[in-house]
Amino acid sequence: MSVVRKWSPARLLVWFVLVVGGFISLFPFFWMLIGTTLNPNDVVRGIIVPGSEIASNWVKATKNYNLLLFFVNSLKIALLTVLLGVLINALAAFGFEKYKSKGREKIFGILLLTLIIPQIAIVIPMFRLFSFLHLLNTHAAIILPSVMSVFIIFFMRQNFKMFPTEIMEAARVDGTSEFGILVRIVSPSMKATFASAAIYMFIGQWNSYLWPLMTILTDAKKTLPIAMSSMMSMYTIEYGALMIIVCMSILPVLILFLTMQKQFVAGLLGSVK
Amino acid sequence: MKKGLVFALALILFAALVPGLSAADAKKVTVWCWDPNFNGYSMKQAAAVYNKAHPDVTIEIVDIPENIEGKITAGLQAGGSGLPDIALFQDFRIEQFLQDYPQGFVDLKAAGVDYSKFAAYKVGPMTVGKSIYGIPFDTGSTGLWLRADMIKAAGLNPDSYMGKNLKWSDIVKLGLAVKAKTGKALIAYDTTNYDFIRIMVQSTGTQFFNKDGSLNLRTPALKAAIAQVKDLNDKGILYLTEGWNNWISAFNNGDSAGLLQALWIIGTLKSKPENAGKWMVIPTPLLEGVAGAQNASNNGGSSWYVFASSPNKALALDFLKSTWASSTPAALAFYNDILKQCGAMGTYLPSRTGTNYTAPDEYFYKSQAVFKDFSAWMEKVPVLMYTANYQTMNTAVKNAVLPLLQGKTKSIDDVLTAAETEYKQTSGQ
Amino acid sequence: MNKRGSYYRYLNRFGWLCVAPAMVFYSLFMLYPILSSLYYVTRKWKGMSNTFVGLGNFARMAQDKIFQLALGHNFLFMFTQIPLMIFLALILAVILNQGIKRLRGSFRVIFFLPCVTSLVAYSVLFRILLQSNGLLNNIMMNAHLIASPIGWLNDPFWAQTTIILALTWRWTGYNMVFFLVGLQSIDSEIYEAAEVDGASKVRQFFRITLPLLLPVILFSAVTSTSGTMQLFDEPNILTNQGGPGNGTMTAALYIYRQAFVLNSDFGYATAMSYIVVLISGVFAFVQMKLLGGRDK
Repeated sequence: MSVVRKWSPARLLVWFVLVVGGFISLFPFFWMLIGTTLNPNDVVRGIIVPGSEIASNWVKATKNYNLLLFFVNSLKIALLTVLLGVLINALAAFGFEKYKSKGREKIFGILLLTLIIPQIAIVIPMFRLFSFLHLLNTHAAIILPSVMSVFIIFFMRQNFKMFPTEIMEAARVDGTSEFGILVRIVSPSMKATFASAAIYMFIGQWNSYLWPLMTILTDAKKTLPIAMSSMMSMYTIEYGALMIIVCMSILPVLILFLTMQKQFVAGLLGSVK
Repeated sequence: MKKGLVFALALILFAALVPGLSAADAKKVTVWCWDPNFNGYSMKQAAAVYNKAHPDVTIEIVDIPENIEGKITAGLQAGGSGLPDIALFQDFRIEQFLQDYPQGFVDLKAAGVDYSKFAAYKVGPMTVGKSIYGIPFDTGSTGLWLRADMIKAAGLNPDSYMGKNLKWSDIVKLGLAVKAKTGKALIAYDTTNYDFIRIMVQSTGTQFFNKDGSLNLRTPALKAAIAQVKDLNDKGILYLTEGWNNWISAFNNGDSAGLLQALWIIGTLKSKPENAGKWMVIPTPLLEGVAGAQNASNNGGSSWYVFASSPNKALALDFLKSTWASSTPAALAFYNDILKQCGAMGTYLPSRTGTNYTAPDEYFYKSQAVFKDFSAWMEKVPVLMYTANYQTMNTAVKNAVLPLLQGKTKSIDDVLTAAETEYKQTSGQ
Repeated sequence: MNKRGSYYRYLNRFGWLCVAPAMVFYSLFMLYPILSSLYYVTRKWKGMSNTFVGLGNFARMAQDKIFQLALGHNFLFMFTQIPLMIFLALILAVILNQGIKRLRGSFRVIFFLPCVTSLVAYSVLFRILLQSNGLLNNIMMNAHLIASPIGWLNDPFWAQTTIILALTWRWTGYNMVFFLVGLQSIDSEIYEAAEVDGASKVRQFFRITLPLLLPVILFSAVTSTSGTMQLFDEPNILTNQGGPGNGTMTAALYIYRQAFVLNSDFGYATAMSYIVVLISGVFAFVQMKLLGGRDK
């Protein structure tokens, strides 16, 4: 598409929209970064010039609010979920896609139907299940329900579709076991898919709020989202320290995004086509 | 590779799923409470007293700033898993819990606590039949806190207000004067909180419920209280905030010249040493035109409870009995200390002999002997009945009042109707 | 897999083996809760005890104006925020796809950035930004746009606006990326042919772009609707538990409060969540019928 005149009104408008939109998108991040350097009062008043409190805010965040513990908790939960999740969901997707059968297709259909059920509908029975198992206030309670994901299985199925079955047939003729086919032949070329799924699951778990809110009762088990929300309820809010915690909560996802944009977006898009 | 993978998987699974080994630490007592400047501090002092005689016991005080009742509910529903040994409950919430979870708490009367030594009005909410479940903690005697320096700046003499039994109409005059000269609103008012209206209503001894537990909002006291709040707001005397911590920073940072609150706010006030010498407190203003109105009220107050599921019940009980329910010099000294430090006026009658109960407190304007005043005011407050639905009523009324302040609802009658409707719907009765 | 006999059976067994672990998790953490919710929904809970009330919970819901208000807010957000966001996302996607060449990648990143924040994080940020004495009001006062501070979090109307604005900030980039992918998959030959035929850019947009993008727009609409029906984090944190005074109460938040904050009536809460599922299902169905027969 070529534009004849360089600065036609249309072009100006386009750039205007982009700049304003970009500013709106970025401003909260910018303000958050500045906030990490200010004292609590200045954060609220909205000073947008950097201050010099970043060191003391960091100390408050790590000493008074146990930032590192919460960070590690969140990281541990997210990583374990991803590890278990990618394995189990990939296995299931492989089974559904490459070993089609009427029975399994029916089951898959039911799985798809339940995609529509919102989290709020099952949290209460799940809560009572975990309290019965004495698993409340544990990280297992947060990891286990998130491992299996119909959405991820669906996404992986679409990608498995594209893997040529002939190669699998050839391997069978060679005498490779089915499991061997999965591990040695199919998986290596599905790395991008697995990466996308991993990223998607990581983010979902890293940011998860409602379920941990219900199951975590003590500080030792808290995750970053719960910590942030708690801090907003305190008698005196340490805004500077809070900004640091918010920063840290965004950091891993931001890094993932910037370094793995393609897989990141692919993970989120699922299989729109 | 396959075997290694499976093994690694199993290892990780195991590590993740084995809940942290929680063999009850034999010498540890865990306490949940909120407000580290007040409740947390007080409990810490009690722990220090206990540790002198029992240095091997660890008493861990956990600050739960958000929805402590929700967490406790979750724990009680789970049969006690995740719960601490001791938890703090506000007096107006405990009845609901005692009713819903009759097996959840330890009967402290049966465990040997002598309740004759505690103020009778505190023991009421924690009694069910012959059992008594809590250790009474603080009183919620109220007053109107004012910034003496700002009153001076408005050209008035703070001393002329000291100790005076004023009416709300007098406060309106004061508020207008302060506003005119300094531009500051006199009283910080948290729109998300019910305390203000509650204090006014309870200063007349009026209840929110009938004896049979049914709701009764159409009382002269509540109507007068709501009308008074509206008047204060219309005249610009209230500094409205949209949250508890915004409310705190409003008076701590000098955005407003005062607040209506119980003495347990002292810990929060004192957390700002730069405000030393600026605060004074006068008797709760009188709600005019309502029978039974007094210059005193009660707001809140909490007590300590022991969970039946606690792994260290005996230790927790011993701790409480040797500190909060004890008359040893060390215990009385700790009661004396928390009074001065954070305004925690215990309801343990023998502790009233402490020197701080009558001594001047240099933090306050002209070293006002605040506790002497609060003590005197506390005597005037009648017993209040809470019921299990207090919190629901609380929420319903405060939600209904907000639109009135914003000019959306027109009449007080509408406010009461809206509150009754919401109460009916959220409580299901 | 057209083989018969033992080899077929062997493959089939392997298929089941693959699917089994996931199904175990599914049965435990999805099926079981769904089934056991059938038990809760007919009972009224009070603390540790419960009584059978049949359809009583649903009857109570019919009277519960607060629940209806909450649902009303869900609908309000759905019908205002989602069209606004899709509109903005479309415009941005078209601009990035056709309008500019330079900095395209950078802008894509910039607009997508809000999505890396967790719902909690951005709720916290916005809540601080929008306090009465906070930054946004200060800027607007200094720029003489307003005379006195706007009660973003204090007034039900502004609080609802706040939620809509916050949601739009958070999700526009996300949907924009969807649309970009969709746009890029449209064959440019179609546009060239239309140019040759003399169709204006605007006409091209409405006759070619939009119809071809319909599946993506549908996907956006369905996922956004489902998300809005479950709105919880923002009204809980940004506007402080559905405030002011129930002004931004949503269904999910009200359910949570009934179960964990107010009364621990799990039965009533479960019944309400059934209604939410039902409504979500109806919306999804209607959208799919209206916007195209997308197979999902």
